[in-house]
Amino acid sequence: MIEAPEIELAYTLTDGEIAVNNLESARRHSWSRFWRDPIRPGIAESIVEQELLTAQFLSDMGALNRLDTLLQCLDRVDATSRRTTLIRAQIASMEHRFAEAKRHLDKIGDWGDLADAVNRLSLSIDQACGDRLAYVLESRRQFAQSSARLEDLVPLGALLVDLGRFDEADQVYARALREYKDVSPFAIAWVCFQRGVLWGELCPESQPGRAEEWYRRALGYLPSYVKARVHLSEICLRTGAVGTAQALLLPVISRGDPEVNWRLADVLAASGRTAEAETQLADARNGFEALLAKYLLAFADHGSEFYSSSGKDPQRALELSMVNLKNRPTLRAFERAYEAAVEARDTKTATNVLTAARKKWGGTQAFALSRLALARADSGSREGADVA
Amino acid sequence: MSDHIDGPRQIGDPAADVTDLFAFISPENPKNTVVALNVFPSAGVSAVFSNAVNHSIAIRRVTVAGTGNDAKFKADDQEIRFSCRFDLLQRQGEKTVQRGTLTCPDGQALGFVVNDEQGASTPDGVYRVFAGLRSDPFLLGWVGFKKVPNLLQHDNVLAIVIEFDTQRVLHPEEASLFGVIAETTPLAAGINPVDRPPLRYDWVGRPEQTNMRLNNGALQDVDDLRDLWNQQTPFAISQDLKPMFHTRLVDSLNAWDMRDGKADWTPEAIAAAANVYLDDFMLFDVAKPITDQSYLEIEKSTLRGTPYQTGGGRTVDAHDIDILMTWMVNNDREFLSGGSPAATKPGIKTFPYEASPNSELQTVADTAELAASPDQVWSLIGKFGDLTWHPLAASIKMTGEGVGQLRTIETIDGKQIIERLEALDHSQRLYRYTNVSGLGVVDYTGTFDLKPKGSGCSVEWRVQFLADNQPTLIVRTIVATLMKVGFGALAKRFGVLQ
Repeated sequence: MIEAPEIELAYTLTDGEIAVNNLESARRHSWSRFWRDPIRPGIAESIVEQELLTAQFLSDMGALNRLDTLLQCLDRVDATSRRTTLIRAQIASMEHRFAEAKRHLDKIGDWGDLADAVNRLSLSIDQACGDRLAYVLESRRQFAQSSARLEDLVPLGALLVDLGRFDEADQVYARALREYKDVSPFAIAWVCFQRGVLWGELCPESQPGRAEEWYRRALGYLPSYVKARVHLSEICLRTGAVGTAQALLLPVISRGDPEVNWRLADVLAASGRTAEAETQLADARNGFEALLAKYLLAFADHGSEFYSSSGKDPQRALELSMVNLKNRPTLRAFERAYEAAVEARDTKTATNVLTAARKKWGGTQAFALSRLALARADSGSREGADVA
Repeated sequence: MSDHIDGPRQIGDPAADVTDLFAFISPENPKNTVVALNVFPSAGVSAVFSNAVNHSIAIRRVTVAGTGNDAKFKADDQEIRFSCRFDLLQRQGEKTVQRGTLTCPDGQALGFVVNDEQGASTPDGVYRVFAGLRSDPFLLGWVGFKKVPNLLQHDNVLAIVIEFDTQRVLHPEEASLFGVIAETTPLAAGINPVDRPPLRYDWVGRPEQTNMRLNNGALQDVDDLRDLWNQQTPFAISQDLKPMFHTRLVDSLNAWDMRDGKADWTPEAIAAAANVYLDDFMLFDVAKPITDQSYLEIEKSTLRGTPYQTGGGRTVDAHDIDILMTWMVNNDREFLSGGSPAATKPGIKTFPYEASPNSELQTVADTAELAASPDQVWSLIGKFGDLTWHPLAASIKMTGEGVGQLRTIETIDGKQIIERLEALDHSQRLYRYTNVSGLGVVDYTGTFDLKPKGSGCSVEWRVQFLADNQPTLIVRTIVATLMKVGFGALAKRFGVLQ
């Protein structure tokens, strides 16, 4: 695989601590304004953006609860307006209730000045569900060409990854870094994280060294970036840097993200600290189940991965993977479901999943590069397919 | 969770957004001039400046190079520039502190602490600076041509206020008319791998050039030119792009003129005004009075072919949007006031002249899930005048009826609390009330909101307030106790929903 040549950013970004301080401060202020006057234009929208940042980069699990509260209040005071309908769709999408999100978007014929936001959300939903990808790709290319903004380039890059065009995706991410004309560390850390995931987990020949470099860069810009810490800690653990892995996770354990507990359990187990590992594992399990109870669709995929791994419950992993697959039949969802079925020794389900995957994705480049391409349809055997 | 790349749509740093620029004679000392730059719209109470941004105010001497329909203001090449940058956060015991440095036009470097109300002064007394959180002085009482309450009510911004000796810095004996801009730029703009001009995050000359003149919502199917404008160099708009910007300004001004259905501008006057707007810097004359009403007077008089009478500029309390709307919509035929008479707080007469920040509304909320039908519970708690269900309410006296009625509550420990009913909706099972007295608060609003849940119901009791002359924690504790005891009584009466 060819990695796009790097260009260093030409200027300083806002320090990560300052950016997080300002985000948290602005978020609280937005809520304060909202409670004074929920209908005032722009405030609910600001809250949605700020809570999204908080959830995505700081893994604040309370963000979803707060957004539910926002919507409950808007339902009371401004239920039928276009803006509330759009916010309803945005929150549904964040919680992976994609079918519901689409229904909300379909409710209003003429969105007027909200048309651009609606269009972008619609593309995100289709991309998340693996629907109309040719159309989504064309649209994303047009946005990228006309705006060259990071917010348009990163989704394009992610879609190219989904389509198995890894070189091109990396070029797009590199362009996003070059073209960025603002000063927020969130933006750049996001691109670095995406590149880490590309090299570490999504491309067929995983390159953990490259992934590690990108996760470190993400954390250089935004030390509080929980997901980057988690992914980097996984790499560190695999390479034997157990102390580093632990040091990455401990400062963010209080964030409430069960994936932190999960990875810390792995680190502690690797250090021979079995009892502490069990405690963290129990916290992870409780954390995932609490999230799944409220936001099943949003966390089904991560929950499935947990139970396939340290959570050691193949049946639960399979159950969650099938929920995820039904909700969003992407190639990755098919891969997860197939692997879970194999681990659960559910041959019939594995076969059905594989057949369905071939039917939906079989003709694509992405499928040809997928682990499913080598899997056997008759027995769900692992033979020839690396599903570990 | 966001692995389907539903990332945030706008990932800029709001700390680099310029919200306002002011230029006025110091209320404390008429021999001084004050310039101020505000950034970070809707900043929270603990907001700090970005360490990665250079905040600058640049002043140039200006001459009137044409009047009437040939009106033109020509800026010198020489610049008087103030630049401010900020450090990373530092811990000082329990507190977090940010420091900054102002580089003055004469090269002096003046260090200061953010949010120090006294600011810092150079040893020679020529310059004084404050940087920190302030109440947003902007009054935005319009959406398009519709009057609305101030959209920035209770907002805060980060302000940089610089006061300086007019004589020693501007030498007004040479000429007293100046143009000023403010901008935010990257700190290290030297490296541009593809040979692009230096980057600029944001800049402002006359406020609302981008949002109201270049991006007029009344114009349909037009490109958004704001980003392109923001990349222009202040005092030196690209000659190649000027015709395009001029055309947009003319179209926009025509649209504004017809907002009230009456044409108050001639085509020639609109074209002339567009020319003036193209040279986007705020004009101020230090030899003449700058008042709350003098904003844009220099431009207007010059375009009308008459000598200007005031120092123009812009004070903290100038209703600049109303002044601008009046001029654009009816050419000053009849003053137009927006939907709000004033900004959240007026400016102050002492340095730093922008008012102290607005406090953040505190919220205390609790929810009870009860094993009873919504109607059953609402029939008990939905009566504003009946608090017999609450163990801490000894008695209650009512005054008036319907929305606006008052209840005077005597608590079991002898307190008297008076509350006013603001809204009541039995169909939604919701009522809202405010506190009149008895709790040491201002801006206090309480809401009861009851919703069906499963086989029972859920009651949310939410209170927002600002503590008045007492610690916030005390009020939070009182309110939380009221909620806890009240909900405890309801749970005992109706049972808890399983």
